[in-house]
Amino acid sequence: MHISEGVLSGTALIAGWAGTVTCTAIGLRKTDTSKIVRTALLSSSFFLASLVNIRIGPSSTHLSLLAPVGLILGWSSFPAMLVALFLQAILFHFGGLVVLGANTFIMGTPALIVYVVFGKMIRSENKIFSGIMAFISGALAVMIGACLAGIFLGISDRNFFEAAKILFYAHIPLALIEGIVTSFMIMFLKRVSPEFLS
Amino acid sequence: MKIESITESQSHSDISPEALLLCSIVYAFTVSMSDSFYALSFSSVMPLLLILRFRFILSSLVKLNAFNLVMIITLAVTWPSLAEGIMKGLTIAFKVNMIYIFFGTLIYPMGYAKIFSAMNGLKVPEKLRVLLLLTLRGIFILHNRFSSALISLRLRAPNLHGMMKFRAFAYITASVLLQSSERSESMMYAIKSRGGFSGFIQSEQKKFRVQEVIACLCFMFYASAIIILNYA
Repeated sequence: MHISEGVLSGTALIAGWAGTVTCTAIGLRKTDTSKIVRTALLSSSFFLASLVNIRIGPSSTHLSLLAPVGLILGWSSFPAMLVALFLQAILFHFGGLVVLGANTFIMGTPALIVYVVFGKMIRSENKIFSGIMAFISGALAVMIGACLAGIFLGISDRNFFEAAKILFYAHIPLALIEGIVTSFMIMFLKRVSPEFLS
Repeated sequence: MKIESITESQSHSDISPEALLLCSIVYAFTVSMSDSFYALSFSSVMPLLLILRFRFILSSLVKLNAFNLVMIITLAVTWPSLAEGIMKGLTIAFKVNMIYIFFGTLIYPMGYAKIFSAMNGLKVPEKLRVLLLLTLRGIFILHNRFSSALISLRLRAPNLHGMMKFRAFAYITASVLLQSSERSESMMYAIKSRGGFSGFIQSEQKKFRVQEVIACLCFMFYASAIIILNYA
């Protein structure tokens, strides 16, 4: 889902940075200093998840853990994504510093949306219900991210829409895996350490 | 690249990290926004000079262009016209190369410590810088614990498939997060007992030297020339 340097137009870059700066400022304001360690840990897990490859047939993909980050951190997921993507750009050259705004917006928005929509549902007492909701949130986060990447590409040039469609379809298997992993993770955290989700 | 090797600084520049970071970001924005042939040709002058000075970048450019080739083929297939798709792909590949040479020679070899110091100089909010440092620390901790957990999983169950594999991965991630969270919470208490975040990041606020101001001004003229050529 990382958009590379040089792909986006000036309008898309400015739009990405405007959204990211606004949401990160809100996120930082809402992040209590006592929660900054947890934010950093989830940011690190988002960074590391992209280094773990999972085989799907002849190809392989990597997880993003967008939904767990969003469900646990809420608004703080924006600064967490910004920091993780910044480190990925400078250490592994994934994405880039100029497209960092757009990439953060693409990853941060799904995390925030799943927090707003599913945040209360996954904390429900009914384990099966919360497991299903965690699965939906995990899969939905990936698909929203792919849609946003397509929108940014479309803003840059309308002819990118065909490539964006391929990007969207390519993310469907990843969305299913992400949903399964999110569901298991949330169930485990609810059982072992419910206060981590509080 | 291995996680352990990311801390080393291999910077060869005498100019301050703040000035380099600022100039590189301005350059990357300028190139990203340019589409005209003359503007892009002129923008390649400085990266070509940088290649002559820092030849180590050439090997990583090969890898980068292997990825670019896939991107050009994708655009050629999906664009309304084949020729236009290839042209668009080549333009993007050119921009990616120019930006990568700039960042790859001037910014990435600095190492994280100098980049953090540059961020301090560029007045990035303290909370974000603390988060950046704690995230980097978290990466090392989680990476170590995660690697050990994966090794033990492979020893106990070498042929995990399907749902079991995803469940094992999810449980490992969640348990590593919980373990590290406990340790990090105690570190947080230690920071608080020492007086909070004040002085957590010790970095000197430096002023730009005369030669750095001149270098930045020259660079701004260069970037302005690219913009003018793009709209001329």
